[in-house]
Amino acid sequence: MTEAPPPAIDSAAALLVATVHALSERAPAIVAQAAHQLAGIILGLRFGDGSMASLTSHRSRLRSTPLAPEQPTVEAYFDDRALNLLFDLERRPVDQVWEGSLDIRGERADVLATIRTFQTLSQRAAGLRVVQTLWRAYRDRTPQRWGPVPVDDAQPRPLRAPQWSALEYLDRRGPEDLGDCDEGALARGTVRVPPRVLWDGYRSVPWSLPPAHRDADLFSTLEGCRLRVGEELQRIIPADREPRAELYDLIRLYPQRAGKGLRPTLIIASCAAFSGSTEDAVRTAAALELFHNGFLVHDDISDGSTHRRGEPTLHESHGVGLAVNAGDAMNLLAVDTVLSNLPTLGLARTIGLIHEVLHMCRETVEGQAIELAWIRDNVVPSGDEDYFTMSMKKTGWYTCISPCRLGAVCAGVTDPAVLGGFDEAFRLIGIAFQIQDDVLNLVGEQALYGKEPLGDLLEGKRTIMLIHLTRSCDEATRGWIHELLATSRSSRTFGDAQDLLRVMERHGSLDYAVDVADRLAHQGVRRFEEDLAFLPETEAKGVLRQIAHYVTTRPL
Amino acid sequence: MGPFPLSPLVDVLERRWLHYAFLSVDGRLGLVANVAWLGAPPDGSEGAQRATSILLVHRDGAGWDASQFNTRTRTPLWSAFTRPHPHRQDGPFDLTAVSDTVAARLRLRRTGHPCTSQCAPFADGHFLRWQSEPGVLASGSWRFRDEVFDEVTAVGYHERVRGRWGWPELGGWVFGFANQAVPTAAEQAQGPAHAVVFTLIQPLQPADAATASVMFWRGGRLLRHFPRRRVSVAVHGELDERHIVMVPELARLLGTPPMVTIPRRLVITAAAGEDRLCLDFRCESVARVVIPAETAINPFSVHEVIGPVTVDGVVSRRSVAFHTRGIVEFAGGSSGD
Repeated sequence: MTEAPPPAIDSAAALLVATVHALSERAPAIVAQAAHQLAGIILGLRFGDGSMASLTSHRSRLRSTPLAPEQPTVEAYFDDRALNLLFDLERRPVDQVWEGSLDIRGERADVLATIRTFQTLSQRAAGLRVVQTLWRAYRDRTPQRWGPVPVDDAQPRPLRAPQWSALEYLDRRGPEDLGDCDEGALARGTVRVPPRVLWDGYRSVPWSLPPAHRDADLFSTLEGCRLRVGEELQRIIPADREPRAELYDLIRLYPQRAGKGLRPTLIIASCAAFSGSTEDAVRTAAALELFHNGFLVHDDISDGSTHRRGEPTLHESHGVGLAVNAGDAMNLLAVDTVLSNLPTLGLARTIGLIHEVLHMCRETVEGQAIELAWIRDNVVPSGDEDYFTMSMKKTGWYTCISPCRLGAVCAGVTDPAVLGGFDEAFRLIGIAFQIQDDVLNLVGEQALYGKEPLGDLLEGKRTIMLIHLTRSCDEATRGWIHELLATSRSSRTFGDAQDLLRVMERHGSLDYAVDVADRLAHQGVRRFEEDLAFLPETEAKGVLRQIAHYVTTRPL
Repeated sequence: MGPFPLSPLVDVLERRWLHYAFLSVDGRLGLVANVAWLGAPPDGSEGAQRATSILLVHRDGAGWDASQFNTRTRTPLWSAFTRPHPHRQDGPFDLTAVSDTVAARLRLRRTGHPCTSQCAPFADGHFLRWQSEPGVLASGSWRFRDEVFDEVTAVGYHERVRGRWGWPELGGWVFGFANQAVPTAAEQAQGPAHAVVFTLIQPLQPADAATASVMFWRGGRLLRHFPRRRVSVAVHGELDERHIVMVPELARLLGTPPMVTIPRRLVITAAAGEDRLCLDFRCESVARVVIPAETAINPFSVHEVIGPVTVDGVVSRRSVAFHTRGIVEFAGGSSGD
């Protein structure tokens, strides 16, 4: 995978900010752990080059700015040599911190929490190739700050015995190239794991012993999986069959509008986590994308949505009739794609896939029916649980639970007890993800989010915010909301939606939704670790873990 | 009938193995075979045949294929250890999968001498004793799926293992060998100029049961044995699962748990006095052999790995440096092993 050129970094503070930004985008699990350790601390950082920065946490997110905070609870000073201790995996850490090289001051508990945060960042983030790229760019820009470069391969043989160790060989005399990874592997190669000792003459570490946690660069992995499945989709959708303009070109439209790649990544990573070949999961991932896009086409018609991923919806641009037909064709093509696994995956796995797909479709249409009935009957459910059930059925299954299960089936797992290990964790994560999506629709930028701004309010979508608002507002406001929702979508104005948003903000409904999403996501992450503890700590499991944490750390 | 129809899950077996591994001199083919005689049934009944044999064949670019644990064998198989025979006399080695998808009909011949027997005791009375001999020459025909390769010359490794152990107690091991290439007929007749065999046994209990060794042959003679304190082993990277195949085919029915990743690189160093050796092995293609365990529900896994290896060092004041292909085993490493 090719990395984008690193941004120009001219100070240590800028390096820290860029690192935190990269981690927030690519390694949510690391950010979540660091944010948890830093909770409540306002960290002011001063660096040897005179630059300053702040580091704070909010919920499971880290925030860093290249400005000193006004009232830091902990102050830390690093010179560049001490910075080397933190991240730079390309060079072995210095043996000791020199006097005046590193200083941390504050309340004892806060200082310890700060050190734990640095430990988390240094131990778990240093291996990410994107972080290494940032730090290499900074170091190469100002090499004089980093002290003398260690001399490699200059030792004449014979060496003294301590220098003839296997680890020393892998570290210095014959190290791997940083780019030496399996090209084409979808969930690999984004993290550099340092060499490790199995036997040093006294102590044995089982060769199979995995590290406590495995991390992965989520951003690169999502992109890789999305592109690979996109290629497969291009192969699957007929290119020269008629009617092209009225059907097959329409089918291609939604998949071409790049999404995040969450579902393809979940399928492929889940398959790899069960020791399956990633290629075995690609076709099923493509089938799921077809199902997903077929659902979206029909959903957009049901909701009267005008925009999808930043462009007009299919029925807006081609009319309802052709859009309905294209959605039907996507579902048909998806079934055909699942069946086409037969020659490569065999009968048992293909039947397992069909079983999973049928279940997923049933859950989705049931969820859609529940939501459409609420809108038709102008009902806003009073409890969050009703929303959770609808959300899990409508999007949770096909966005989170089913992709994991389908990936495992691709790897040959058909035991319901094993497949069920994904259910509760990804049910909670799926609901949290949907709530965050709903919040983003109200507060996110359209360019990033892709849907029309306030589209959910214009549609009268029953979100957790709307449910909270109708539960907590006074009678008069409740009556106004009821009247507004009773009108047709076309008669609601953008002004109505803005009014509704202001009322939601006044009643704290957005904050409530974010809190609920955070709580559910944390429960989901906990269940992930408990229910899937049987999976070995591979990089594929690391990808699944990053996705689980993605919900808690993505910017709102 | 499975291989252990009469064994309760608490029975630790007596085991006798003959192990074979060969790589063709042209680099196209590889072979691993294991023939195991297992101890008498726990009720002391006689007559029940308790033996397993498996054959794996690797073809460059096509990966691995394997028999089940029931190859047809010609007995007695050639072995340097089973009966006295003239040093350079060859003997038969015939193994054929019942399905005939893989087969080897070879004549084997030793060009060197084995090491002394080594033993690893562990757990409560479990032990594993083994004796290795690299530099074994093989010639004959190999079958890999629909292709038959005649007059193939290969050089490899032979080992006998004897012991009494349960798979969960054994934990895991890393083992491998490298013979210096013998490209010409004259060199083949002499056998490899140098050969290296290494072993790392990693039982779970007791804490000091783990042991390692590196042995170095020159001209067919064991020249140096680096004992456990003089050996270090490290790994780096992960092999992509696309290069790993699970065998035998029936393994999928055993509820085989997912496996940990196989390292992409293995380095073993040994140093004693002025002597130095370094083996740098790069994993290329893996067959995960799933073995039913007698004392656990989950099976045990042995990963047979083929790849290039570089050997470098100084032994007995003479430099050693060669690049060849070798075979490594990573055993254990699956959830529940």
